[in-house]
Amino acid sequence: MSTSGYVWASFAAPLVGCVLITLLADRVPRRVAGLVACAAMLVSFVLGVLAFLDLRDRPAEERVVADTIWTWLSAGDFRADVGILFDPLSAVMLLVVSGVGFLIHVYSLGYMHDDAQERRFFAYMNLFVFSMLILVLAGNLVLLLVGWGMVGLSSYLLIGFWHHRPTAVAAAKKAFVMNAVGDVGLAIGTFLIFRELGTVDYREVFAGVPVLSDRGHLDWACGLLLIGALAKSAQIPLHTWLPDAMEGPTPVSALIHAATMVTAGVYLVARMNPLYAESGAISNLIVVIGATGLVMAGLIALFQHDIKRIIAYSTMSQIAYMFMGVGLGAYWAGMYHLVTHAFFKALLFMGAGIVIHALHDQQDIRHMGGLRRFLPRTTILMWIGSLALVGIVPFSGGWSKDAILSSGLEVGGAIGWVAWVAGIVGAFLTGLYSFRLLFLVFYGESSPYAADEAPKHTDHGEGPATMLWPVYALAALATVGGLLQIPGVTHYMTDFLEPITYGTGEMVEPSVAQEYLTTAAAVAAGLLGSVLAFRLWGRRPAVIPERASTGLAVLPERRFLWDELYDAILYRPAAAASNLIRRFVERPFFEAPLDAVGPASRLVARGFGVSQTGVVRLYALVFAVGVGALLLLFMVQA
Amino acid sequence: MDSLSINATALIAVPLVGAVLLALLPVSRALAGYLATLVSLAVAGAVAGLVYRFDIGGGEQFATDEAWVADLGIRFHVGIDGLSLAMVAMTALVMACAVGYAAWEGGARTRAYYALLLLLESALLLLFTAQDLIMFYVGFEAMLIPLYFLIGVWGGARRTQATLKFIVYTFVGTLLMLVGMIALALDQEGPITFDIDALSGSTSEWIFATFLVAFAIKSPIWPFHGWLPDAYRQSPPEVAAVLSGLASKAGAYGLLRLVLPIFPEPVAEYRDILLVLAMIGLLYGSLLAFRQPDSRGVIAYSSIGQMGLITLGIFVLNDRGASGAAFQMVNHALLSASLFLLAGWVATQTGSDLFVRLGGLARGRPILATIVLVVGVATLAVPGSSTFASEFLILLGAFEYEVWAGVLASTAIVLAAMYMLRWISALLHDRVGGAVEAGEPPDLVPSGGLLTIVPLVLAVLALSFYPFGVTDRIDADTSRLAEPAAEAAAR
Repeated sequence: MSTSGYVWASFAAPLVGCVLITLLADRVPRRVAGLVACAAMLVSFVLGVLAFLDLRDRPAEERVVADTIWTWLSAGDFRADVGILFDPLSAVMLLVVSGVGFLIHVYSLGYMHDDAQERRFFAYMNLFVFSMLILVLAGNLVLLLVGWGMVGLSSYLLIGFWHHRPTAVAAAKKAFVMNAVGDVGLAIGTFLIFRELGTVDYREVFAGVPVLSDRGHLDWACGLLLIGALAKSAQIPLHTWLPDAMEGPTPVSALIHAATMVTAGVYLVARMNPLYAESGAISNLIVVIGATGLVMAGLIALFQHDIKRIIAYSTMSQIAYMFMGVGLGAYWAGMYHLVTHAFFKALLFMGAGIVIHALHDQQDIRHMGGLRRFLPRTTILMWIGSLALVGIVPFSGGWSKDAILSSGLEVGGAIGWVAWVAGIVGAFLTGLYSFRLLFLVFYGESSPYAADEAPKHTDHGEGPATMLWPVYALAALATVGGLLQIPGVTHYMTDFLEPITYGTGEMVEPSVAQEYLTTAAAVAAGLLGSVLAFRLWGRRPAVIPERASTGLAVLPERRFLWDELYDAILYRPAAAASNLIRRFVERPFFEAPLDAVGPASRLVARGFGVSQTGVVRLYALVFAVGVGALLLLFMVQA
Repeated sequence: MDSLSINATALIAVPLVGAVLLALLPVSRALAGYLATLVSLAVAGAVAGLVYRFDIGGGEQFATDEAWVADLGIRFHVGIDGLSLAMVAMTALVMACAVGYAAWEGGARTRAYYALLLLLESALLLLFTAQDLIMFYVGFEAMLIPLYFLIGVWGGARRTQATLKFIVYTFVGTLLMLVGMIALALDQEGPITFDIDALSGSTSEWIFATFLVAFAIKSPIWPFHGWLPDAYRQSPPEVAAVLSGLASKAGAYGLLRLVLPIFPEPVAEYRDILLVLAMIGLLYGSLLAFRQPDSRGVIAYSSIGQMGLITLGIFVLNDRGASGAAFQMVNHALLSASLFLLAGWVATQTGSDLFVRLGGLARGRPILATIVLVVGVATLAVPGSSTFASEFLILLGAFEYEVWAGVLASTAIVLAAMYMLRWISALLHDRVGGAVEAGEPPDLVPSGGLLTIVPLVLAVLALSFYPFGVTDRIDADTSRLAEPAAEAAAR
């Protein structure tokens, strides 16, 4: 099969899975649905690997495959195709999405074992993967937008999976609406690009960058696309949906809200790198947003009590690192961190899922503690995940994060230093909150709740094999993922991704010295945070006050009041406008006057009704008078 | 063979003959329902044949052109070009589902009821295929008669009020247009004609105004929407479906087919005012939809918003806008019909249309839940849906005309997400509502009523995979219709 054949087949497999599960419905036992979904993912992954190998073996300048199956939409000279662009960037994404996606599907077999709605779950999961593959394989902006919206839809469906919970439904709606804001940004950016260049095809757009730039529209285009990226990747100021999204089942959090969908914004900027590389202002803005976001999210994570929300804020913080990377022009480094993050963050979420299962759906870390006695393997897995997250080399997260920070050194100037310093501070915060979680959950004394529940749910081990093995695999990847690029040793990422600039320029690459200097500083900061976490929470029975509520700590605990802000400036005004229009415009000006039409016309009718006497002689008289009058009229005219 | 093939005239005649037969034959109500469904299915089948035989880029096809009132230059001229084809196809599909739904719900529906529905279909088909202004007018006016009885006799508790508002309002508009039409024909040089293609380039602003008002009421364009909420709430479900799905399109179609090419100068002159009205309608309807207490309220006000969007696409006067508007007419027809039928079905099962009494319907009803979800997210134009495709074109067209228009109209996408997600959740999610508990037990096997919505949903899905199937057929016509006004505007 040709390369594009592999790609199309890999692309279609999850859709086939989704449709099959839907059509089979309850004609097969519900366990079968999960197997179908996993099989679809496996097929997708294997074909993805074949496609990747094909691409890898080509010389750099030939590492691009474009193929169109049909025209999707047209009007005048506008045309959008169902066409793929398979290049190193989409290849990396395809492998991450289908590979990590496969592992999470297998994990879900165990996790959703007792859920009566398993079929629906797996149908949605496959739908999500299909949507995500549209997003990463699309060859033009319109199809990208289609994928962009469809991952939002599947995310909505999965966040609100347990739809009898009002909180889950509210969270799902919030995520969807916020992402709709992002979609609009992306759409308007696409409008602008089409208006100026007359095309939406990626490579033609890249070729048109000078035109955009000359006409002064480049910053606008980049900025508008960025709105989409910020919403999807939960970055300031469109980030508030992500923590709430944790209402979804844990595999969903691992797949969509950690490993794949939320990193789409990073992918978008990397994909559009020929544009962003020429737009210094927007690239700097991305760095600043990233730097602010990573520190803010790190601070908030420190004050949360829900195990999944802590990891969610950590995700936001890590994606902020990736944003800094692509903002600095080190597109490969952003993608590198995207890959390793997919490993260790999925690992952390799935480890958290095992904990939540063992405690009968308890997510509050204040009701945990001392779990290493019940979950020894999970404890080790979470250690690996945390070390990778904090960035302690040789665990994968360290190498990739340091690649981003050292690119800051390479770029230099105010922006480079902002990135570097924020990154180091972030590493410290990451050490602090990660190990706070680890110590509070697995060490110290068990809380009464944990002491009571954990033994009941762990007497048959920590979980079924379907849940444990995928986590082992991810732990292995999180450990050795750094082999992809070790300064001065390996350089698979930079080599493979080299062609993604489409000849428009070079990506930023730090020197080996800059890398190791950064690594030393970042590891030191991370360790400092970890040690401090150990001093604070590691040795005594965990007692966390119900509410910190003193001084500045109120701000991170209340998540810097973003939710309140949006409630005040968006939701409430919309609802108020609706009520006001209804009361002061629609009712008095449209409903009331027209309600009078009825009585008025009846009045007129009654007027005529008076003449309807039923007396035939009267009718005859009127008739005769009328005819006479007409005759008279004609005679006068003649 | 060719002479036996179905053409536009046959298409109009089939439901008309069906209506007459139903009115005359002494059959039971149930049988009448099935017969009417059969007739509407036959029309749908015939239209499928036309879609298959249609020659893309071949202009007007399947035509009949005979002198009717020769002295006045009125001709029986009907034919189908790409735009008409799209309209006819949506009409046939929506009508088949609506009639099927009526037959399923039964109740007080008599033979006359089904005859009126078929009469309505015939009028719609005449209107969408008319190539002569008088033919168009006959179709436009003939719609009102069945609608008057369908709502006035079989409507809800406040049906009299609703019918009067609707009929009086619409009738005033169409009468004005009749006057305008006659004046327009007299205005032309040479022998009198009502041929739509021949009537072009009028500069008369008052004639333009009569057409505009008639279509603005019918669509409706804000602020002519006053009749709508009551009419949509008080009609039987399938009549509401036809009213919002098809009858409203008669207005938008009139704007595109007649107003743009016949009055290029006045259109260019007043387009900005019309665009502002369209924009107000879009935002106004969307905002009001967000707080409605019942399904029908949400659908009614969202329809005002959607018609605003369509109007916007028509008056930006470019390829993207016109094509997007025509395509959006099709999508909105399929979806608003689905929505009304769904609302009707839910009301028959639970006895309520109020959100406070509904909720939790997803539990134990996977098929209903799937349909509600697909229809809901397609209505809010989730990227990848056919609605997204058409709205993308409209918004792109608006953006190409004026940046602010594109940007402001795009915000309506967020509002649509807000009100449709609210609708989905109010039906399916959260706690089980009082009416749901009291209603029928969960039925895993879908009842016939739900099945009548399935073809509409399938059509939406098919168009989502292949919107080019529509845009490719309508593109040449919409471009041609928008061109004179666009040129006038450019001058």
